[in-house]
Amino acid sequence: MRQVAIIGTGQTRCKERRDDVSFPGLIYEAASRALEDAGVSIKDVDAVVFGSAPELFEGINHPEHWCAEAAGAWLKPSMRVHTGGTVGASTGIAAFYYVASGMFDTVLAVTGDKLSESPVQLGLSTVYDPILGRQFACGAPSAVALQARQYMDEFGVTEEQAALVAVKNRRNALLNPYAQLRIPDITVEMVLSSPVLSSPIKLLDSCPASDGACAIVIAGQERAARLCPRPAWIKAVATYNEGVYYPGRDFATPLALMEAAKKVYKTAGITDPRREIDVAELYEAFSFQEMLWSEALFFCERGEGGALVESGATQMTGDLPINPSGGVLSTNTIGATAMMRQAEAAMQVMGRAGEHQIEGARTALAHGWGGGIQFHTVMIVSADK
Amino acid sequence: MHMRKVAIVVSEQTHHERRKPDKNVEDLIYETVSGLIAKAGLSISDIDTVIGAGDDVLDGRSISNVFTAEYAGAFLKEESKIEDDGAFAAAYAFMRIASGSFDTAIVYGYSKGSDSSPQYYSGMIADPFFLRPLGVEAITAAALQAGCYYQRFGVTESQAARVAVKNRRNAIGNPFAHIKGNYTVEDVMASPQIASPVKRLDASPVTDGCCAVLLASDEAVKRFSLKPAWIDGLSFCTDAYYLGHRDLSVARSARKAAGKAYAMAGILDPRREIGVAELHEPFSFQELMLAEALGFCEEGGGGRFIESGASEPAGRLPINLSGGALSANPIFATGLIRLAEAAKLITGQAEYAGIEARKAVAHATSGFALQSNIVYVLSSN
Repeated sequence: MRQVAIIGTGQTRCKERRDDVSFPGLIYEAASRALEDAGVSIKDVDAVVFGSAPELFEGINHPEHWCAEAAGAWLKPSMRVHTGGTVGASTGIAAFYYVASGMFDTVLAVTGDKLSESPVQLGLSTVYDPILGRQFACGAPSAVALQARQYMDEFGVTEEQAALVAVKNRRNALLNPYAQLRIPDITVEMVLSSPVLSSPIKLLDSCPASDGACAIVIAGQERAARLCPRPAWIKAVATYNEGVYYPGRDFATPLALMEAAKKVYKTAGITDPRREIDVAELYEAFSFQEMLWSEALFFCERGEGGALVESGATQMTGDLPINPSGGVLSTNTIGATAMMRQAEAAMQVMGRAGEHQIEGARTALAHGWGGGIQFHTVMIVSADK
Repeated sequence: MHMRKVAIVVSEQTHHERRKPDKNVEDLIYETVSGLIAKAGLSISDIDTVIGAGDDVLDGRSISNVFTAEYAGAFLKEESKIEDDGAFAAAYAFMRIASGSFDTAIVYGYSKGSDSSPQYYSGMIADPFFLRPLGVEAITAAALQAGCYYQRFGVTESQAARVAVKNRRNAIGNPFAHIKGNYTVEDVMASPQIASPVKRLDASPVTDGCCAVLLASDEAVKRFSLKPAWIDGLSFCTDAYYLGHRDLSVARSARKAAGKAYAMAGILDPRREIGVAELHEPFSFQELMLAEALGFCEEGGGGRFIESGASEPAGRLPINLSGGALSANPIFATGLIRLAEAAKLITGQAEYAGIEARKAVAHATSGFALQSNIVYVLSSN
């Protein structure tokens, strides 16, 4: 298969409310930055892939049409990917296939959401089925609270261990100029004593809501090698789905992520992910999830996610730093969030992560999560072709 | 560079109707995809990837593929969703297979317009600042386009009415079509104005339905006894969003997409080389605009083209032998049905027509007034 690489990334400043721009304005900001970072102009772009999460967030249907010019898609091929929380990653992965197929050589993938335009949890409550779920629809935190509770009960992980994740990522965020939420004096006690949103999830275990966008530029091997001194070569991708209403479904065993992990490791030739992956950006919208995803990605044994964070291995100074960007706990636009994981993973192997750069990072993993808490995406990027 | 060949193996669709009160969208998807894999002689474990097409606003449910995907067989599979017509989702599936990563893909598109309001759905495509306060939605946008088109080129309302008559007559033999019959130009002209100059019978209906298509790589195609329709060419293109930012009298993005699809397929003269076309015409006059944009007649010549009979079943380039969108319009499946019908026509699988042609064009559109378009060139050689 044709080699494909990320050659540029762009993120907007994220805020709880960006009053200075419209939704297309956010998209334009991210797209322009990615093109600038890649050192290409929009004329060099063969196709655009657009991604955003539920329409109810902005109250606009088919935002890819409204944002066509802002995304650089005028008189170019463009379509919209929409897979909920994973959409940022699904869009980046679609762009990967655009280039890997040989149809296109340079593709701009751009994603975002302007969550301040609507009550986000109301929008997320409409994810619940109108017949079999709307009566008890309760947004995202309550669904994830069920997952966290089941995970704690089955494996004995604790709220304190989850709080360690929150503290680690919130400290990392201080090194990332694009991270939205900054709590310099964060401690485990602060997390544990923050208000309960939906037990066991507390406010500081949770992500904020952001207005923001992210874009990446993806190119085929010749173009990538010519334009970029150190591209982030995409070694493997996966976009796995799982059902919602099947008997025996176990929220604490993310089957789709385990399938996705097996596939990308096989494709990328990774046999020992803990050793071979230098840095990971995971979609931890809630602190508990970073531990659970670490297990499903085979970074540690089942039930050892808590011990992994306690060991310090996932700190920036550890052997497998997770979320040096500050992660989703620090910025969550939903639409762009999973693409920010890909962009941050690429920045790490390109050596462009600035103050939160992990020294010597050559292989990075980017994860996306969403849907009815059952969609998972994974991308592996490497400094080595 | 060398690109792997990809073919349409087989398709399946529901019997499209105004209202299917006994089925939800999951039922429609399950019955269609089950029928598809049965026709192909496969089991679901033979499918490598699934790409869906639908819309949260029409479904009244956010991230709708949370629920639909497993009914399309995507449980623990590589799955994704395009929030656009299924013909765009098929392009993504095509690229997934062409990359060498997958051998077989299911693409499905569906909607139940009866559960929701397609007019509100399209009204929400209007941006909240400039268009929405004016009440612009799909029908009013098309009416503005019809006015521009008629005025600039002298095409008439009764010429457009001929498209509505032709397509609904073609639909008589199509067991899946929803609106069919021997209408006359007078019937169309006398039907109520819905947004002048567009009349009720110029417009596609609201339909409940689903379509699914099986795509396969050249190696995987050998597993099937069915005659494949090869995707020789494929391109898509989007134009400016605001109606005032484009020349509404021409479908520029369709012309651009067609040019690239023809180049990819090695088509030099579409009028001579293409034997049949399935075009996504939400409104009758748009079939004429698309015939121009796709090079089947000269720019502005759409009216004379329909009068010449060229696009009639006995003409040199029959358009919408299946009945087109005017005869069945399950939004998000409508364009995918064009692709399915074009493939059926050139492989001898169409229930309603036997033709000699071995090269077909399939087209789908998205957005207000033909903003975004996708064009396929298929061959059965």
